[in-house]
Amino acid sequence: MSGIAASAWVGELAQRHLDAAYNLGRWLLGNDHDAADAVHDAYVRAARAAHTYSGGNARAWWLAIVRNCCLARLSTRGRERALDDTTTVLPRTAANDVEERVDAAQSSVRLAAHLRALPAEFREALVLREFEDLSYREIADVLGVPIGTVMSRLSRGRALLQRALATGPAAEAADGL
Amino acid sequence: MDCNDSRSLLDAYLDKELDRAEARELEAHLDGCAACRAELTRLDALRVALRDRALRYPAPAALRERIALTAARDTDHAHAVPEDYAAAPRAVRGRAPGWLALAAACVLAFGAGGMIVHNWSPRSGGDASALLAHDLFASHWRALVAASPVDVVSSDRHTVKPWFAGKVAQAPVVADFAEQGFALVGGRIDYIGAQRVPVLAYRHGQHLIDVYVLPPDAATLPSEAREQGYSIERATLGGQPAAVVSDLDGIELAKFERLLSTRG
Repeated sequence: MSGIAASAWVGELAQRHLDAAYNLGRWLLGNDHDAADAVHDAYVRAARAAHTYSGGNARAWWLAIVRNCCLARLSTRGRERALDDTTTVLPRTAANDVEERVDAAQSSVRLAAHLRALPAEFREALVLREFEDLSYREIADVLGVPIGTVMSRLSRGRALLQRALATGPAAEAADGL
Repeated sequence: MDCNDSRSLLDAYLDKELDRAEARELEAHLDGCAACRAELTRLDALRVALRDRALRYPAPAALRERIALTAARDTDHAHAVPEDYAAAPRAVRGRAPGWLALAAACVLAFGAGGMIVHNWSPRSGGDASALLAHDLFASHWRALVAASPVDVVSSDRHTVKPWFAGKVAQAPVVADFAEQGFALVGGRIDYIGAQRVPVLAYRHGQHLIDVYVLPPDAATLPSEAREQGYSIERATLGGQPAAVVSDLDGIELAKFERLLSTRG
């Protein structure tokens, strides 16, 4: 399908799951600009490929395209540019000017830094599970791996994250990226 | 089940990906193993921390507009009716091209923007509430598909209450309201997050009602929680906070809550 019907349908899908798409891209690519471009690429690609959608979970289909666009961008980007703007760690924080929130904000800064330092395969599985609340089946569809692999990546990713939180200071983890 | 088996299942358990039988087997192990319970608590704490909204990046409005514009342009350029038009989802059939679609895209972007504002408005405390509601619904639905929604089957409160003793810190107040149309069917213990919580099950006609007696330090329940026709209502039972999960309608639910509160 092309033209009117395709782009309208995919447009609605993309808008509905735009936060999920952008968040995934942002965690994979490490900066706002690349994440936005990758998601836009993904939309264009999805609209053109709408006829290849053969039923099933539309969100997983869309996020799989987003992820592919991110990986493509990562590989062309190579090493020529800095991976991340680690100094501006958090997009926004629940902490306003309330003092008691400062601790919470600091621990999320630490957590964000450690999550960012995780190898991508663990990071993306955790982002899809914890931020988007995808089921193992849906994550398997997005990543194109068996469910058993999803399970082991989540489990390993959490173990790595816990170990990092227990030992290394966040700043080192961020710099080491 | 030994600790190695248990550890390999803890993640899937917290993710609600174990089937009822596996979950039961794991819970039986957890009941007797403090080390695995501690590990579950650590994993749960990480889960709560990761679900902090501060870690998420919402899509910028500019990206939303950019995609809406690209979508509108594509629609505008498509003059020919696609040949597999019939295959298009019904909702998009017959949509007028051109400015109408552009307008629709803008409305969509606007509506979606509104949803974000809505989703983002709760404070971080909202996450704990949402997680609690999520766990309660998951537990209730698991009970609905299980062979039996209870572990101790009895309409006799003198059987149910002692069954809880020793399994949870404080056995809940157990009352039967069979005469009023809400018959006690039994009790069970469920994990909500990493905490063991006593659950009393009642039946009203075809409806199963689960009453979760929450620990004093539990997160505050959202003021309104509904999902797929089921709801969570706040209640008190014997002075303890409780959550009533069911698919009862408002009037019957209010009646049941009144009955409960007479025991509180």
